[in-house]
Amino acid sequence: MIRYLSRRLIGVIGVLVAIAAVTFTIFYVLPSDPAAAACGKSCSAERLEAIRAHMGLDQPLWQQFWDFLSGIFTGRTLGSGQYTLHCGFPCLGYSYENSESVWDLLMDRLPVSASLACGAAVLWLLLGLSAGVTAALRKDTLVDRVLMVGAVGAASLPVYFTSMMLIYGLIRVAGLLPYPQYVAFGTDPLHWASNLLLPWLALAILYAAMYARQSRSSMIETMAEPFIRTARAKGLPRRTVVVKHGLRAGMTPILTLFGMDLGGLLAGAVITESIFGLPGIGRLFHGALSTGDQPVILGVTLLAATFIVVANLAVDLLYAVVDPRVRF
Amino acid sequence: MKKRTLIAVATALAATTALGAAGCSGSKGQGSGGKNPATANQGAAVGGTPQKGGTLTVLSNQDFSHLDPARNWVMSDMDFGTRLLYRTLVTYKAAPGTAGGELVPDLATDLGTPSNSAKTWTFHLKKGIKYEDGTPVTAQDIKYNVERSFSPDLPGGSDYAARYLAGAEGYQGPAQGKHLDSIKTPDDHTIVFELRKPFAEFPNATVMPNFAPTPKEQDKGPQYDNRPFSSGPYKIESYERGKKLVLVRNTHWAASTDAVRKAYPDKLVVVMGLKANQIDDRLIASQGPDASAVSWGALRPESAAKVLPNAEVKKRLIAESTNCTDMVQMHTGKTPFNEVKVRQAVQYALDKDSVLTASGGPAFNDLSTAYMPATLFDGKQPDTLKIPATGDVEKAKRLLKEAGKPDGFETKMTVSTGDKGRAEAIQQSLGKAGIKVTIETVDPSAFYATIGDTKNRTDMVYTGWCPDYPSGSTFLPFVFDGRFIKEKGNSGNHSLFRDKPTMKRMDDIAAMTDAKQANAAWRKLDGEILAKSPAVPVLVRRWPLVLGTNIAGAYGQTSFGGQLDYATVGLKAPSKSQG
Amino acid sequence: MTTATAPAEVPAGSGPWQLARAELRRRTSVKVSLFIVALFVLMAAGAPLLSGLGGWSPDDFDKAAVDPYLGGMPIGPLGGISADHWLGVEPVTGRDLFARVVQGAQVSLLIAFTATAIVVVAGTAAGIAAGYFGGRTDAVLSRLMDLTMSFPSLIFMIAMMSVAKDVNRIVLMTAVIGLFGWPGIARVVRGQTLSLKHREYVDAARVGGSGPWRILTRDILPGVAGPVIAYTTLIIPGMIATEAALSYLGVGVRPPTPSWGQMIAESVAFYDTDPMYFVIPSICLFLTVLAFTLLGDALRDILDPRGSRT
Repeated sequence: MIRYLSRRLIGVIGVLVAIAAVTFTIFYVLPSDPAAAACGKSCSAERLEAIRAHMGLDQPLWQQFWDFLSGIFTGRTLGSGQYTLHCGFPCLGYSYENSESVWDLLMDRLPVSASLACGAAVLWLLLGLSAGVTAALRKDTLVDRVLMVGAVGAASLPVYFTSMMLIYGLIRVAGLLPYPQYVAFGTDPLHWASNLLLPWLALAILYAAMYARQSRSSMIETMAEPFIRTARAKGLPRRTVVVKHGLRAGMTPILTLFGMDLGGLLAGAVITESIFGLPGIGRLFHGALSTGDQPVILGVTLLAATFIVVANLAVDLLYAVVDPRVRF
Repeated sequence: MKKRTLIAVATALAATTALGAAGCSGSKGQGSGGKNPATANQGAAVGGTPQKGGTLTVLSNQDFSHLDPARNWVMSDMDFGTRLLYRTLVTYKAAPGTAGGELVPDLATDLGTPSNSAKTWTFHLKKGIKYEDGTPVTAQDIKYNVERSFSPDLPGGSDYAARYLAGAEGYQGPAQGKHLDSIKTPDDHTIVFELRKPFAEFPNATVMPNFAPTPKEQDKGPQYDNRPFSSGPYKIESYERGKKLVLVRNTHWAASTDAVRKAYPDKLVVVMGLKANQIDDRLIASQGPDASAVSWGALRPESAAKVLPNAEVKKRLIAESTNCTDMVQMHTGKTPFNEVKVRQAVQYALDKDSVLTASGGPAFNDLSTAYMPATLFDGKQPDTLKIPATGDVEKAKRLLKEAGKPDGFETKMTVSTGDKGRAEAIQQSLGKAGIKVTIETVDPSAFYATIGDTKNRTDMVYTGWCPDYPSGSTFLPFVFDGRFIKEKGNSGNHSLFRDKPTMKRMDDIAAMTDAKQANAAWRKLDGEILAKSPAVPVLVRRWPLVLGTNIAGAYGQTSFGGQLDYATVGLKAPSKSQG
Repeated sequence: MTTATAPAEVPAGSGPWQLARAELRRRTSVKVSLFIVALFVLMAAGAPLLSGLGGWSPDDFDKAAVDPYLGGMPIGPLGGISADHWLGVEPVTGRDLFARVVQGAQVSLLIAFTATAIVVVAGTAAGIAAGYFGGRTDAVLSRLMDLTMSFPSLIFMIAMMSVAKDVNRIVLMTAVIGLFGWPGIARVVRGQTLSLKHREYVDAARVGGSGPWRILTRDILPGVAGPVIAYTTLIIPGMIATEAALSYLGVGVRPPTPSWGQMIAESVAFYDTDPMYFVIPSICLFLTVLAFTLLGDALRDILDPRGSRT
């Protein structure tokens, strides 16, 4: 187990370094000049050079990459002369746009994206799994059909459409909810939830449909397995069979899916955040892209990749818990 | 000079605000007899006089570019910064309409005293002005902030100081203990600027936030941007970049020293990162706390259909002109646009009317028939070429034929992302004359760097220019003087127009001592340049804003591109706002 | 999820493909979705012809159709639907919506299909190679798959689209979408290949002296074809949705070229003032995604009943 874990962790770090390198290359090789963007409209050649030197952009690419990479662990001192900024571990540099530490920016936005992702995840798991399991247990009945037609339909709806319909129906017509505007959970849990409910629903509808389809087929397969028949034959009540045996085995493929989805969403649901105007990591990223704010772009990419690999790792480890057949 | 600022804001918001002063000459609207439905509140403050107190909410789809006074050079941000957080030597009067262009002393006791034939300017500071910690504002702090704006660590600010101060060449800020000898502070309340050349309009420059005070002890370099130290009526309580900014009263600010700022609300909350059209919907509905809210960005053109037919909402609409002329500028130094007939063909082919519609229609824009906006023509631009607003394709084709291009040609045009709709309208109308345009959209932040690279840019660009104050000297020389062209970081003269007679005439006018005579000469020159067609003036945008029902004292400040004047805005009933 | 499981009545001795075809023909959902797919594909293929029929080119402005005093709202009910403009017009510009939807279909489907083709070819090749050759090839390819799947793909796609300036957007978008899509199918194929590799008939071919190329193309490829076809159909909706997402975020095709995603992105702002403008491209997107999903479900049930997906 320990050996397995350490091997996986080394893999994780390797993947992250590779992703950092690719991101770095894409943004630093391509012809966009953050110094010129910062310098603004009326920018003389010597001022541009000074700014470039100040940003460290006059260094060779590999040097910049190495500084960035080692800086994450050892911290870096940025700037010159009177204005030096020390950024300690974990140092992801400073935003070109607003001179905030990238790490602070990410940590400032993470609660928004995490609230969005986790709330939606709870909703879609509840909706999706219950629909999927119900359909599986009532296979080929009207209930099954209605649920599955609904699921295919909902999964095919463009998220923009669902979102706008929700806004129109629940805000404009019914006036039940406010226009989403992020309120921290710590400030007011009730406002937090009421402001996020709409984005949760929009995301959850899409994912719930996918999970319903997946869990139905998975459950059908599991319920046909010999061990279920054995359990039934032993005279266990149907409820016990379904919940203790069927669900447990049937949920392993769902777990993989869930790990990847949640990992991806934690680092920002770019579209949903954009539709509802939530200041999460996805919007931070989108904004940074349009201003060419490379340290932020790099930071978000690394964070997103970290979530994905960590989620994958977590899923693999959880397998051992859920499915007794898995051993490391 | 403020152009960058204004246009950057406009495009960042993807708003459509074009100007428009009086009627909409060329458009065949079935509207109300040429009367602009959006300008009923023109020249007056909406909502009466505010009551003191309450919380004013500002709903925004973006963050500020810079609030650091050394770096703040975006119209709306300058409005916000200088009206709420810091004071400058001189500022604009807080008044609706053209009165908003008048200068009034702010930190200074007067508008400055010139000597040495306007090469030396002396300002005396009022006594008793304090920062948020109660320490007094000194002349040295103003000098220090001007110096900071030279630092490569702190880019973005206006370049007036760099342009005019003696000995400023190569200066890189106070970081290495170096100071500018051309700014003298004989005592704590006197500051003297020595200029390279005579500059009679220097007080206009001291309106810029570079001329606000920053105490050396508070300077945190680039991070000062996140927490500028207040000398104005409010100070920053918290600032989460891209999310939320909260301002509370600076208790050390004394209304008795300040003739401009009214500081009605107790608190200002700027909520950022919202969706622009949801902001519009919230303000139109004006429910609950949104009644005490205003929008930071201009109303989106899509929302016009919800605002204009609704009398109740229209009462809460302001739409001041931005005073900036949008232009299609052509690379006059290169084929095919080195040929005047080709440029004239573009002039004739362009259907300004459809660009206007793409820009939100005649309610939020005015067609432009001259380069300088209407304010520099006493309210109405002349129409010297008499081209129909929808263009004259036949004439354009004829001109192309005469220029030896009967089949037209292909070219590219760079536009900022927010101008995509306008660009498509231009593309479409030029296409009818055989000029095939490919549109390159560039993000607002990279826009000026892209078009300022004269070697690699496209042959056409769509951009605008705003005069800083009502004088032709802040418009034509910046846009059409060939000696201002830089290979990189070029600004203003994007047609790379190097016309000898034009430059000579500009020098002649600049030397005129009679302001009236000079103004008349600038107007005449505008028409002369237009005949040579280095650029096509397209439209002037407005800055439409819908206000919450509880908002009072609101008008668009002409000098800040039509943005709401934050010096005077407040609430009708403070108790109705949420604190 | 299609439901029926009863075996179709087919003459004894039919081949597996015949069986599959007969089974497909029996399902209503398949018929409906095939119809929808065919409709949109025809629409895309005949785009210039069709918009010619409507009388408007997708880029023509019609100023008479919009009201400049109302922010450019279409004149007339339902977004300006009339005999002249069959699906109404785009607000502000007055461009014909029918012509744009048709051309948008062309762009969206072209990107989705080409990207799918890239993904399927690359994924199948990588999967077969990894599964069949094993050893170092497998190790390298599997690592590459893991790495690619660890990339936050949407974020990367947006980033790559927004930095590249002077390139054909459609080609770039296709390539970028394709780049991140292949590992999924490669894994499926790899697993399938592993299980086929030691079947008797493959061993027989090997003993019979067939070279690896011949075995791969003659014996393995047909064996993985079923799941690949099903999987292909199921990823097309994802590709269409990805194109829409990129266009929505403003890094898609260059104006004035329309795509469904770009049309939706522009029309979202008009969802309440001009609902038809918003609804029409949304419905096109919805129907296409739905049709491919139903079709994919059916194909998977028939061609890959045990579900070789992980």
